[in-house]
Amino acid sequence: MARHRKIQGEEIARNLNRRQLIELEACARCGECTNWCPVYAQDKRECISARGKLAMLRSMLDGSLTAEERTEFLQGLYQCSACGQCHIVCPVRINTPELWEQARYALVSAGIPQPEGQVKQLTTIKGFNNSYGKPQEERGLWAKNAWDAGFLKSLVPLWSERPSSVLYFAGCTASFDPAMQFVAVQTARLLQEAGVEFSILGSDEPCCIGKLRRMGDPAFTEEAQNRARQFDNSGVRTIIVSCAGCYKGLHSDYHSLWPGAQKVLHVTQLYEQLLHDGLLRVQQEVPLVVTYHDPCHLGRHNRIYDPPRNVLQAVPALKLVEMARHRAFSACCGMGGGLKAANPELQHKVSASRIREAEATGAQAVVTPCQTCYLGLLHGVEETSSSLKVYHLNEMLIRSVCPEVSREAIDAAFSGDQVKLK
Amino acid sequence: MIEYFKPWLLFWLAAIVAHGYMDYSFYRKWQGWAQGIRQPFPHKGKQRRIVKIWLAEVLLQRQLFGLSLFRWLVHLLIFWGFAGLALLSLTTFFLRPLDFLGIGWAHYFFSGKGYLFTKVWGDSFGLALLLGLVLAGIRRFILKPAQQGNKQMDIYLVAFLFWLTLSGFFLEGLRLSLSPGGMDSYSFIGRLFMPAGIFTVEQLKFMLVATWSIHAFSALALLVYLPHSKMMHSILAPVVIALNASEESEREDLYWPDIGKYKAKKSRET
Ligand code: HEM
Ligand code: SF4
Ligand code: SF4
Repeated sequence: MARHRKIQGEEIARNLNRRQLIELEACARCGECTNWCPVYAQDKRECISARGKLAMLRSMLDGSLTAEERTEFLQGLYQCSACGQCHIVCPVRINTPELWEQARYALVSAGIPQPEGQVKQLTTIKGFNNSYGKPQEERGLWAKNAWDAGFLKSLVPLWSERPSSVLYFAGCTASFDPAMQFVAVQTARLLQEAGVEFSILGSDEPCCIGKLRRMGDPAFTEEAQNRARQFDNSGVRTIIVSCAGCYKGLHSDYHSLWPGAQKVLHVTQLYEQLLHDGLLRVQQEVPLVVTYHDPCHLGRHNRIYDPPRNVLQAVPALKLVEMARHRAFSACCGMGGGLKAANPELQHKVSASRIREAEATGAQAVVTPCQTCYLGLLHGVEETSSSLKVYHLNEMLIRSVCPEVSREAIDAAFSGDQVKLK
Repeated sequence: MIEYFKPWLLFWLAAIVAHGYMDYSFYRKWQGWAQGIRQPFPHKGKQRRIVKIWLAEVLLQRQLFGLSLFRWLVHLLIFWGFAGLALLSLTTFFLRPLDFLGIGWAHYFFSGKGYLFTKVWGDSFGLALLLGLVLAGIRRFILKPAQQGNKQMDIYLVAFLFWLTLSGFFLEGLRLSLSPGGMDSYSFIGRLFMPAGIFTVEQLKFMLVATWSIHAFSALALLVYLPHSKMMHSILAPVVIALNASEESEREDLYWPDIGKYKAKKSRET
């Protein structure tokens, strides 16, 4: 048995980077990571902390992890949003989020699968090319519906019919989730207001498959290469995304596989530029006090801290206040890394803690530029029965640029329903 | 400078075994790491910044400074104290044989005027280490911050280093008590460990040999323990910092946070 465990350990080690193998033994056990981990704050087991995971993975590699510890380790590894907070505070500079993702990949490659909830989600993504398990034909419908309802200045062209210099990649959530389609509609309208020429892929838009990498699915590399080829063959140069998860996927995860990844922009970067150039004009006052939630995938993982803040500050009468934890120390909403799929209740608690922090600022609303964080924060609001409002950053800009395209108006036109949690 | 019996033969045999064991352990570790996927080290054009980061994070431990002044002080004392003493031991290791061969400048450090410099050096770094370990002990056993790990390895290392440092100072005190006058002013800490004048010279000599043996063999035990201890971080943390700085040298949110911009209220002071 011990020998079998050792052989499996070697198999895992072969799929980790050399530097990561060294990192496992470099931990000074200072516990700074335990001070900051948003999940450890809810579940104080050692296996949840970076310190615990490093030690347990090390034991797993040399075959000395007991069966009981192994179960704990797997819980710790997958009930982690790979938010990267431990990376920022670690005095040894251990690149933890990369390590967690690579460890998941190495474990799966050695025949140790992800938790059931994650396997299910991955199967859906690979089977349907979207995380909602819906037919791809429905992907671009939001654009047609928005045009029919009068929210757009013109019908957004499909890339196959009229390619342009910019591709708007709406992503699965804004395309398929009726409660989130307003993000895609508002992005399209704001780009139109600024005179940006762009197209969408419609039913040809693939899932960015960032989630495959998050959860260590070995199919990631090949699938990513397929998508890169698709973009190259279509002549795509610049890609705009309105979701932090898609940004992390297409920009960071594809980085080593595809030179085009450099040309992926988050919509807040573009808005900042458009506002600066006077192409996007804010007019109406938005007299709100808001606090900004940095998505981990934009902030810590990609250092996009300032553009969203600059956009918010450009909105007349809007006041931005910061939470105790912001920028590099922003506490995760718990949606990343497959945590939600592995343990939904835990995600709710993590998010509730973030909502309490947002409430403490005295702000009326928390704003985020990511549809995944948006949904995650809503769970926190529900958990805490908070009266705090959650807004996508688009909504703040829309109120100032063209208030008639509000979320409420879009929701009403699309379904007549209120925003519902899935 | 006094001469007294030291079980050299036994010591050298043990040293060869201990060192051999440590080297073999590192070799095995190296083999383990080599199984992993090769990774580039993209350092071109960034060497200066990487070196700067390394100096700040390893030698000055700026990141701990950013987290807590107290923890920074404790660890800086331990780190520099240990490094200073390790350097002294290493120098002794290489210069002793030269001294035996009668090479003049080596002799200078052991019997000549340089011996006093050696004493001040040893006492200063020893004091830093001892102070650091006492403060670490206060933090660990009295202040007990929640973040602190309390596995055996967390406690053993501090205890082991404390034992080693303390036995070193007792050895120094005994040596001074048997030295013919004048030297003790340079061993400004060691002399505080001089035993009270109730022992005979014979007793002191026996205690000296015993303490020397305890100290010397404990030092060898540290070599054996090192690959299994959390002391691995003192070798690997500098390696990881250098390697990761090659990819992240431009991350001002990681390496040179503008405190006003990035500081958050969470870290505990202890
Ligand atoms: C001569 C080399 C070193 C020695 C003897 C040493 C020794 C120690 C000891 C004994 C502890 C435990 C303190 C306690 O439990 O209270 C410790 C903690 C620690 N060491 Fe080192 N260390 C060395 C080098 C380094 C280096 C080069 C780094 C990285 C830059 C480092 C980073 C740390 C950190 C972050 C902690 C945790 C400190 C805390 O929690 O306040 N050490 N070290
Ligand atoms: S990545 Fe985030 S959730 Fe995971 S261990 Fe680190 S701090 Fe905790
Ligand atoms: S912060 Fe880094 S060095 Fe400290 S315990 Fe966590 S992983 Fe280890």
